[in-house]
Amino acid sequence: MKYSYIKPRKKTAFTPEVQIVFTFFAITLAMLFLTYAFLLYKAYTFENEKKEIIEHRKELKANIARMESQINFIEKQKALAEKVFTQNMVLKDSIANLFDLVPQRITLSEAKLLKNGLILYGITPNKDVYNFMLQAPLRSIFHKTYSSFYPAKNGWLMFVSTNYMDESQLEELDSED
Amino acid sequence: MLSKIVESLYLKVLVTIVVQNENTLVHIELCSKKGVVDEISAEFNTTVLNNKMYDFIDEYIKESPYYYISILDTSLLQGALPSCEKNRLAALYDLSVAEHKCIDESWTVYTAKNDLYELEKTYEEVGLDMIFSPFVVMSNFFADKINGNLAMYALIQEGAISVAIFENSKLLYAEHLDMLIGDEAEDILLHEDIDEDIDLELDDGIDLEDINVEDNDMESLEDFANIEDLDSLEEIDEFSESKDIEEELQQENEVLPEDEDNEAFNEDYQRFSILQTAVAHFYKDDKYESRFVENIYIADGVGVTSDLKKYLEEEMYVNVYVRKCDLVLEVAQLAKMELGL
Repeated sequence: MKYSYIKPRKKTAFTPEVQIVFTFFAITLAMLFLTYAFLLYKAYTFENEKKEIIEHRKELKANIARMESQINFIEKQKALAEKVFTQNMVLKDSIANLFDLVPQRITLSEAKLLKNGLILYGITPNKDVYNFMLQAPLRSIFHKTYSSFYPAKNGWLMFVSTNYMDESQLEELDSED
Repeated sequence: MLSKIVESLYLKVLVTIVVQNENTLVHIELCSKKGVVDEISAEFNTTVLNNKMYDFIDEYIKESPYYYISILDTSLLQGALPSCEKNRLAALYDLSVAEHKCIDESWTVYTAKNDLYELEKTYEEVGLDMIFSPFVVMSNFFADKINGNLAMYALIQEGAISVAIFENSKLLYAEHLDMLIGDEAEDILLHEDIDEDIDLELDDGIDLEDINVEDNDMESLEDFANIEDLDSLEEIDEFSESKDIEEELQQENEVLPEDEDNEAFNEDYQRFSILQTAVAHFYKDDKYESRFVENIYIADGVGVTSDLKKYLEEEMYVNVYVRKCDLVLEVAQLAKMELGL
């Protein structure tokens, strides 16, 4: 029941002084929590970045390993290519030498290069020309040389020269390469 | 919710101020949920808020933000009206310059707005939370009586008397009377009485020769023939039944002080006169239904002497019951009711 002419003033424990103190503490706490939250966020992002970097490093390591294997493979390819190139050069030189060996009077119709030998087909005016001008240098190169002749229609001789090198000699040459 | 929890942690400081003629009573109660923890009273020789009083109040209100300052209205232009209906109030009193409050949806107390503003201005340094009408204090003090038969109730303060007549909790008549304003009128009355007394003293006896038996006088004597119309003894017994036995029993233990030094004689006589005038207003004014007042209940806030009771009983033929009333405690009680403590 209300008996008073006037209403009591509203009372509050939060007087201006208390409000200032509360505001101060509230701001301080808010700043602390914000700092804490910021640090938590930063720690979280750093953790994520760390994980990403570790993942990246793993990837890089894997890439490096793959690349190293690729390099090895490429190096092997290169070595093989060089070897092939060298062999080709040797072969080219050998063929050039072979054709140099062949005198002008003898005509080659076919040449077969084997791993350990050489088979030549051709035509010679006579056996002497063949024996002196082609067989002699072939004998100096190959260990075994077999020659067979059969007459051609024009009176010249068709020949087949089969030349082989020893296996041991070939291995020595390979190892030298 | 939070404010209520915080509020429960603090004590409530109830400051009650009662301004008297030349001094001010201040009563402070520190209340917790369980009840009154501490109470302090002080009296200051001032009728306004001076530094000493301010310091005293400030010392306690600083203890809790939940402090409430209540004061008893001192306005001379205050009173009570027997209705809460606006239309009827307008006919009874011009409330345009008055602040009013409906009590118990039955009657209204009012006071001058200017006096309220002045009161608030006087105490603006500490501020006022509640201003109570003395009629509310009186009705609360006699809460056990006003719901009974018709009776007059008076709250006696220093320098003022609030008079009301209630019947079954219904206000019939109310008036706030100031003793200081009434001084001049009472003085005249007193002088008239004294003159009469002097005349009586001069006439030591009745000189039979002075008696003129004239026709008119005889006619007036004939009126005594109707003496049978007077109340029978049975009716007198009924009249005696209107006495408040319970109240009388209670007051047997409370003996009013005798006025040995005649210091309080004048004041009590003034009070008697004021009460007599109030009863006369009630009887004569056409606004009020004229009913016979048999009992007068007095809330004594100043310490009246037995003379007042004697005057009233002897001169007005009424039963008078005087209850001691500590005004500051009653106002504090109202403040607690207002705040729901």
